[in-house]
Amino acid sequence: MNPQEIPVYEVFVQADALSFPTHVGSLRAASPAFALQLAKETFCRREDAHDVWVVPSQAISRARRDATAALPTTTSDKRYRLPSGYDNAPHWKRFKAQAMTIEEVAADMRTKGR
Amino acid sequence: MEDAQRFHDFMQRIEAGEKIESTDWMPKEYRDLLIKQIHMHGISEIMGAYPEKEWVTKAPTIRRKLALNAKVQDEIGHGQMLLRLAEDLSRPYGRGREELMDDVLDGRVKFHNVFHLEAPTWADAGVIGFMVDGGAIITQAMLLESSYAPYARMLKRIVAEESFHMQHGESVVLALAEGTEAQRRMLQDAIARWWPAMMYFFGPREMGPSSKKMMEYKIRTMTNEQLRQKFINRYVPRIRALGMVIPDPNLYQDPDDHVWHYTDPDWNWFNEVVHHNTGPMSQARLALRRQAHTEQRWVREAAFQAGQVLQNQGA
Repeated sequence: MNPQEIPVYEVFVQADALSFPTHVGSLRAASPAFALQLAKETFCRREDAHDVWVVPSQAISRARRDATAALPTTTSDKRYRLPSGYDNAPHWKRFKAQAMTIEEVAADMRTKGR
Repeated sequence: MEDAQRFHDFMQRIEAGEKIESTDWMPKEYRDLLIKQIHMHGISEIMGAYPEKEWVTKAPTIRRKLALNAKVQDEIGHGQMLLRLAEDLSRPYGRGREELMDDVLDGRVKFHNVFHLEAPTWADAGVIGFMVDGGAIITQAMLLESSYAPYARMLKRIVAEESFHMQHGESVVLALAEGTEAQRRMLQDAIARWWPAMMYFFGPREMGPSSKKMMEYKIRTMTNEQLRQKFINRYVPRIRALGMVIPDPNLYQDPDDHVWHYTDPDWNWFNEVVHHNTGPMSQARLALRRQAHTEQRWVREAAFQAGQVLQNQGA
């Protein structure tokens, strides 16, 4: 890279406190502080953001660009790793009980009573 | 700013339901409670992989082996994600990954009572998924509301993966329940073995001072007893629907206030197990952990040195 060139920063925006920062694009800036200011102007003109991260592009290693890195693939059958790979409902029904999902448990935990 | 003023402002943020980040100012007490909770949680994920790993090679079909192996990978992954959070919080104390991992070998951090116990049959592997993961999901779903944002975020990811553990555990349990008399007996014995441990799992009826503090700081939002009631209410009808018996003659739900009554587990025995690692499998599993951690330390050190060399070459 030309040492005179203004460095590139990758920008990550975190929508709210409980979300993970997501990559939205990149920009050029002379310093991290400048990059943050520009990120706000470039990527957050309409939506609120809980936080914005800028990371020097050079600091990022990408699996696709690294011939030795293995990329996660889904070519093999991974149903055994997924909740949808198990059809328990008809079995519970046989025992006159209902199948249960994690979403239902999570909803239950937001209520204090039984 | 005065510490008293900072504390006041911090508590106002907590009361308002705001989320705290690792880089925010926080009272030492809040930090220490988080380290205690998340460190123990992370270490428990790792120690929880050991009883299950025993069954990978002995599982009855290739699909069950694949699934159990996937689960072991998940638990170790969860341990790593949670340890990262504990490391960030421990930075002011100058304690990193090596120290936090050493703590379990030196008895400075506990792990869940259930992982000190034996898993002698294939039904135990299923019941661990069904009941132990079921109990852990109830606790973790409660922690999704935690005031500490990095923990709540990570738990969202962890709970999503636990969804598979739950379905897998149920699938094993259902297959045994639909099986031969011998299989049903094996399931019944495993349920009887794990039931008292699950009653201990959620902690004492009367919470200790640090658990109460965790509620004030909204690190957690429910009492031990509320969590235990949620568990009993969810699992008793399901276990009974399978035609299995829960080994507690005092277990019943009050028809008026819907509160479940149950026999207390042997609190002293389990306390001794978790505080002093005196359970039937505590030492054997710690030995496996020690082997992984200390005997492979040179590998981590060599990899680090090699990384440094490569980085210097690239610069």
